[in-house]
Amino acid sequence: MQDWFAHNITSLFTGITGETVKNWFLYNPKEPLLFNTGLFLGLFLVFYSVYILTRKTFHLRLIYVICFSLFFYYKSSGIYFLLLLASSVVDYNLGNILHRESRAAIKKIYLAFSVVLNLSFLGYFKYTNFIIENYNALSGEHFDFQKIILPVGISFYTFQSISYIIEVYRKEIEPTKSYVDYLFFVSFFPQLVAGPIVRAKDFLPQIYQKLNITKDDVNRALLLIIGGLVKKTVISDYISINFVDRVFDAPSSYTAFENLMASYGYAIQIYCDFSGYSDMAIGVALLLGFKLPTNFRTPYQSASITEFWRRWHISLSTWLKDFLYISVGGNRNGSFAGFLFPALFFFGLIVWGINYAPTSNIPLILAVSSLVVFSLTFLLSRDKERTMFTNVNLLTTMLLGGLWHGASLRFIIWGALHGVALAVHKIVIEYFPSQKEEKKGFGGKIGHVFAIILTFHFVTFCWIFFRAKDFTTALELIHNIGNLTFDPEQWKVIAMGYKNVFILMAFGFIWHFLPEKIVNTMQGGFRALPIVGKAIILGLAYWLVYATASAGPQPFIYFQF
Amino acid sequence: MNQPKSYFFQSLAIIAISIVAFIVFKSFLPKKLFTETGGNSKNVVIDSLLLEAIEKDSIDRGEADTISKQPIQFKAVDGIVFPTETFQDYKGFQHLVGFFEKLFQLETNKEGKVRIAYFGDSMTDGDMIVQDFRSNFQNRFGGNGVGFVNITSESAASRGSIKHEFSTNWKTQSYLNVKRPKKPFGINGHVFFANDTAHVEWVKYKASNLQHLSELYNPTLFYGKSGNKEAKVAYKVGNDTIYKKLNPSRLVNSLTLGSTVKNLKVDFIKADSIPVYGFNFDDGKGVHVDNFSNRGNSGLPITTFNTEVMRQFQEKLGYDLIVLHYGTNVLNYGSYNYGWYERKMTNVVNHLRECFPGVAILIVSTADKSTKYDLEMKTDSAVVPLTNAQKKYAIQSQSGYINLYTLMGGDGSMVKWVEETPASANKDYTHFNHRGAKKISDLIYNQISQGYEQYKKLRAARKAPAVPKAVVKKDSVTVKKDTTHVQ
Repeated sequence: MQDWFAHNITSLFTGITGETVKNWFLYNPKEPLLFNTGLFLGLFLVFYSVYILTRKTFHLRLIYVICFSLFFYYKSSGIYFLLLLASSVVDYNLGNILHRESRAAIKKIYLAFSVVLNLSFLGYFKYTNFIIENYNALSGEHFDFQKIILPVGISFYTFQSISYIIEVYRKEIEPTKSYVDYLFFVSFFPQLVAGPIVRAKDFLPQIYQKLNITKDDVNRALLLIIGGLVKKTVISDYISINFVDRVFDAPSSYTAFENLMASYGYAIQIYCDFSGYSDMAIGVALLLGFKLPTNFRTPYQSASITEFWRRWHISLSTWLKDFLYISVGGNRNGSFAGFLFPALFFFGLIVWGINYAPTSNIPLILAVSSLVVFSLTFLLSRDKERTMFTNVNLLTTMLLGGLWHGASLRFIIWGALHGVALAVHKIVIEYFPSQKEEKKGFGGKIGHVFAIILTFHFVTFCWIFFRAKDFTTALELIHNIGNLTFDPEQWKVIAMGYKNVFILMAFGFIWHFLPEKIVNTMQGGFRALPIVGKAIILGLAYWLVYATASAGPQPFIYFQF
Repeated sequence: MNQPKSYFFQSLAIIAISIVAFIVFKSFLPKKLFTETGGNSKNVVIDSLLLEAIEKDSIDRGEADTISKQPIQFKAVDGIVFPTETFQDYKGFQHLVGFFEKLFQLETNKEGKVRIAYFGDSMTDGDMIVQDFRSNFQNRFGGNGVGFVNITSESAASRGSIKHEFSTNWKTQSYLNVKRPKKPFGINGHVFFANDTAHVEWVKYKASNLQHLSELYNPTLFYGKSGNKEAKVAYKVGNDTIYKKLNPSRLVNSLTLGSTVKNLKVDFIKADSIPVYGFNFDDGKGVHVDNFSNRGNSGLPITTFNTEVMRQFQEKLGYDLIVLHYGTNVLNYGSYNYGWYERKMTNVVNHLRECFPGVAILIVSTADKSTKYDLEMKTDSAVVPLTNAQKKYAIQSQSGYINLYTLMGGDGSMVKWVEETPASANKDYTHFNHRGAKKISDLIYNQISQGYEQYKKLRAARKAPAVPKAVVKKDSVTVKKDTTHVQ
């Protein structure tokens, strides 16, 4: 026992030098302070102990959390934490001015100014090079790319700031009582770098409430953290580095079946990565006594693309719905902005098709037919005008939503595919209204399963554009999948070759499609455990993370058939 | 309202206990979630000679290392002596003198042509690295055409330098997994048969749009010996189908199919039992580089080359340099003692000298490759021992040597290449992407080029012009049959 102690406990401390301690607190772009790191766990334990002691204070506690949040942000973005501070000062004051102003026209100007200001921040950091690249391509000039580092989480906190401003404008909330309160909202570290995008009206009231957490909250938080850790670090990270990334790097070096499995793999990878990190954020916030909105509700169980967007990255889709979709006219009005982006998109698509016409007619056929399909979604509708507004505004939302994910054409394509699919789904249910749940017979259930499979495959298809490094690679991968032949022997050999990867993928999908009852029973079992039991399970989750991270990359396999 | 009881302290306790639980688990549970199993299935591409060599390695003994301590001095070839080198920085330009002289004649007198055979593994799969290497030479010394191309290839789909398709009914034997082929292997280490008499076997090539490769220059079929006198090939010129008889009388035969075209589809009719090797596309001028890449190859299968067949290939194609770019596939196996690989590859080089008398040989070492140690990706500890073994057999077999590992930046360079933006290597921390392949080929080309420049200076400074005689000297091609080194 003594040996064991000496080996495992003392070694924890003897390895620590001045240098390592310094590294804990200094900015290192290669090692951001993610929730799934040991460093975060250690810092959080210390932070949390003090936090509990300050729980009955107000300003002291807020300032304490702000300091930790800024440190957290500094660890991943260095000097850019000043940008966060500066933009929060501006937004806080704009919010106050907007609130005090009573003249409608002037108010609008302030609003427009604030939104444009925030978006130009985001635009400068995220889209400068994208604009230069496209400008160069169109005009044939050669402007140099700028060396701009994208500050971590800027897409998220910019959207949060905008939500604050718009909600103040719409009189849905009162501005915060002081700058400190506002800074606390914007910099709150659990959701700072990767969401969920917290809405001012959901979050601000919680600041002023008496701080408390219940046993139930802690249980929920622990379940979210354990689930998030497993999803993010065990499933997502392992399958990405050992399989999915490789196939997407060079699709044609792999068999058709490997290409197909890499697409499925990416579908579960991105879900586990994104939702896992959000779940951890929600869990950590809950431990601090703050309730953030649910961000993912098993999205691949959706039976339609519309349902998918109600279950996938909910905080983003509701943000886009409330502030973008509604702003450009929603399902009632058309607006210039609402028509501008779809018009630009289809124009660009057709120009691209015409450019390609000498080599291949397929791009032009694709471009024209997508425009035709999209037009049919409202021309076939009973209420043509209103459906047109709705669908055009939807497409605008999805195009810009796509662009929000990253500055590249492929995200626009991804957004467009989803936008058109949403419109198509709308016209389909207009003609074939879905039956009520209780009236569904056996045929209805089969139809439901079929709809889930179809939706999942459409979403997976779109992810190919989201993941592939460029358009050519995406098409190459799709082309390779097209060569798939039914060859169970070959599939078996590949599955054995990538055994670990395929086991984790299967585990991810089974977990995703587990019926609610089973999930509830398992969670109930966890809730019933004594404190030590819960801690042991949490410790086991850490070990799983550690053991996955230590596993070396799977050696390279080339198959020959 | 009655507030529920605060649960903050319990929450803190759970986190604190969980950390203790983790430390306990870490000491008792396995360190890695998945143990790496070497479950080789028969469908995984690994060369069988390598596997045998590794098995025998277990009875191997390390021996005294004398090479790495002595300075390396060179004997004059045609009055040219490169300065003495150390083991550390060995490049062996001296052994490429014959090749340099051919380049020199090409450059100054526009005379002759130069041909390079580039043997490799998955690193050069799909013409990666080699296509950039080829274009470096063709840009400087002229020459058009992609060189020798197989009939079927596992990496045809990923090849950008030529579009290559083939029917599925070809029968392929590869030196990777067949020791005694039905008919001898071609220079590409493969032999293809059109034995399916019920259906026509075909192969289709289309030139890419790349510079120097935009046409299929003088398409020439290479095939071997057989008793089959009926065989024909058919291809189209415009709307006419042209039939040509095959005459499989020699060990290596060639047949030129029309003139330079952009597309070529060739049908093989009644061609069963004839060993078919591939097509060559070149314009007969400048430099041509043939890519003979094979996934999973360690280099050892080259010993199965039939000397007579290779000499006839040499007669027709006329190689001036053979590049051996291997190593990736021997990194993952067993110990860091690469003595066995060194000896086996020395035999490979000696065998090549027998097959291709007088042709210069250049060894390109393994590139950097990373493996996870604890939680961090680092240079695999087998990389340096392997590059040293490769250097030793280069010295022993009087070959040139390029240390790709140090050229790409040495320790930790693969991690950098993978993580930089834009990335130069893939997430397997082994293979390069197109950007990285271009960089690698430039590194290789630049070192050769550096040797060539040095050669030109030495040539100019040479006192008495060499008596015109063949660059090939008998003594430099003596094949050492050192039996003490053969197991």
